[in-house]
Amino acid sequence: MHFFRVVKWIAWKDLLSEYRNRENISSMFFFALNVILIFSFSFSLDPETLKEIMPGIIWVAFGFTAIIGLGKSFLIEVNNDCMEYFQCLPVPKGAIYLGKFLGNLLFMLTVEIVLFPLFVLFFNLTLLDQFLPLLLISTVATIGLSALGTLFSALTVQIRAREVMFPILLLPLSVPIFIGAVEATRGALSGDPLSSYQHWIELLGVFDVIFVVVSFWIFEFILDY
Amino acid sequence: MVATRFIGWLRRFEKWFGFVAAILIAAGLYTGLVTSSPDYYQGEVVRIMYVHVPFVQTAMLSYFTLFICSIWYLWKRESVVDNACHAAAGLSLFFTAGGLLTGSIWGKPTWNAWWVWDPRLTSFAILFLTLVGYLMLRTFLEDKEKGATFCAILAIIGFIDLPIIHFSVEWWRSLHQPSSISTRGISIAPDMMVPFTLMGVGVSILFAYMLMVRTQMLYLQHLLEAKQGRLLSEGQFE
Amino acid sequence: MNAIRGISLSKSFQHYQVLKEISIEVAPGECYALFGPNGAGKTTLLRIFATLHRPTSGHFEIMGIDGKRDRPKLRALIFMIGHGSYLYDDLSVKENIQFAIGVRGGSVTDAEIKKALDQVGIGRFSRLHSRYLSAGMKKRLSIAKALLIKPKVLFLDEGYASLDERGVAMMNETIREFTKAGAAVLMTTHDRGPTAEVADRVGVLSRSTLKELTVKEMVEADALF
Repeated sequence: MHFFRVVKWIAWKDLLSEYRNRENISSMFFFALNVILIFSFSFSLDPETLKEIMPGIIWVAFGFTAIIGLGKSFLIEVNNDCMEYFQCLPVPKGAIYLGKFLGNLLFMLTVEIVLFPLFVLFFNLTLLDQFLPLLLISTVATIGLSALGTLFSALTVQIRAREVMFPILLLPLSVPIFIGAVEATRGALSGDPLSSYQHWIELLGVFDVIFVVVSFWIFEFILDY
Repeated sequence: MVATRFIGWLRRFEKWFGFVAAILIAAGLYTGLVTSSPDYYQGEVVRIMYVHVPFVQTAMLSYFTLFICSIWYLWKRESVVDNACHAAAGLSLFFTAGGLLTGSIWGKPTWNAWWVWDPRLTSFAILFLTLVGYLMLRTFLEDKEKGATFCAILAIIGFIDLPIIHFSVEWWRSLHQPSSISTRGISIAPDMMVPFTLMGVGVSILFAYMLMVRTQMLYLQHLLEAKQGRLLSEGQFE
Repeated sequence: MNAIRGISLSKSFQHYQVLKEISIEVAPGECYALFGPNGAGKTTLLRIFATLHRPTSGHFEIMGIDGKRDRPKLRALIFMIGHGSYLYDDLSVKENIQFAIGVRGGSVTDAEIKKALDQVGIGRFSRLHSRYLSAGMKKRLSIAKALLIKPKVLFLDEGYASLDERGVAMMNETIREFTKAGAAVLMTTHDRGPTAEVADRVGVLSRSTLKELTVKEMVEADALF
């Protein structure tokens, strides 16, 4: 269909550019790595404390990853005025949003999946048996984060203070996602059965639907001011 | 012009709003601070509530106004509506900050803590941060039309997000802070109702008055900027 | 029916008026050249027709389609070659074209791309990443896109800027090709020589007036404004 072809082309372009220059993923990854490093020095690492703070460490690291990666996601579109080209396209603008969102989601998830083994390595965790639930939690939370991040990236990309404005807008409004993600991760890390933190995952799912739908609808106005 | 008619209408009615607000607030403060009796549990501390509660209500009212104006702007693209959005956002920030401040002062003797991660407090703190972000975004976006549209989008997203934040913090708190301190259920004695009502209505009308004045100020400021632009580029065409 | 029809279009940025009640009509198969001093509002007028700006007052039609209500339908008919190159640095020339067409919901074969690139004289560079292109080559690439999209109305902002002599000749050929096929071309320019070869009508714009000249008058005038 017309609509999904446009989504595919946008995502294809982002993925191909990223594959060629690796700017986004590498900066996200190494930034998160540095965050992990600092954290490992900031807390006393006896196993009991670690269990308490580990979900926080994981999601702060992922949050920084989002700030670095998502904030730049529309930079590629303003460099040669591609936003203007999008504006005069005869296609629904939501398709452009969805394409960008899918590309961002993929970048974020890639970095997160690479980071998990590093948490195991640096913090001496045993995440392996919890890998599937953690993957599920990361995916659900990252969908919401990418949905908001993609929208705010488009809002802030054309201003000089982009690096500051993006987190200032994104972080307060993504508080629900962080709450849900940290609580669910806490459940998963302590080895509880899925059913004991399932409600958090369901809640995140509801947030995802709301954020994606609202952003999708409102994106039309960003490209047609 | 829609804008001139609208501004003319504001100029005609703003005085009345200011007048009524002044009377109601004066009466509310008098009954609240002087004639009403101190609360059975909270003592004299309760009197700050006569300021706190109206401020919080008006903060919500002003954010709701911002939300409605933002939708209106996206629909009609009338620049004077954008001025109203800008004004409403600034006032919402003012009332939110006032609400947080008075709430904190009330919380110290009552809960023995300046701050508690209560759903309502947290939502208000996030509302505060969102409004700061909103006003910053406005200053940074130089293209006025783009700025107006983008800010309207942010206001709408924020409005939809706030209940979600409130809800998620409620769930989160039920996990981490078992209800040692309750922020709910302050029963209101009948003689307290009078100052509450007077202040509630009075501050809301005060907000309306401030909104009218501020909208005009912003409108005039843009007129001035335009005039400056015209003067600077004069001679190139004529 | 006119290809382009603007009726007393005004545009103010906030309160600063750039255009004041400009009316213009261009028939299908016609090339209309807009002259005017810097800051006269030429680009703004073009951008209004290209749906990049909304007029403050007045209204316009493209091929009989209302410019305020039917924007998606209108956008399918137009293409603008403006100051932005609308390119992605890490995509090759060919991939950039595939993307530009695909994201409009269209499709294009390799043979068609090759033919268009040869026609504008950059066939040799089809595998080159677009970051290495010079300004003139980027302009030629935009012309190739226009050839493939085949819009009913083509907008050229500073049509001859950054093109070499052969490029200018190629541009004029392209314009003729478009007008022969029944498309309307509206361009802003400062070069009277090449414009005289293709323009059917000429106008001098200065914010509140649009003075029409014949091509002959335009060539013979000492100064246009």
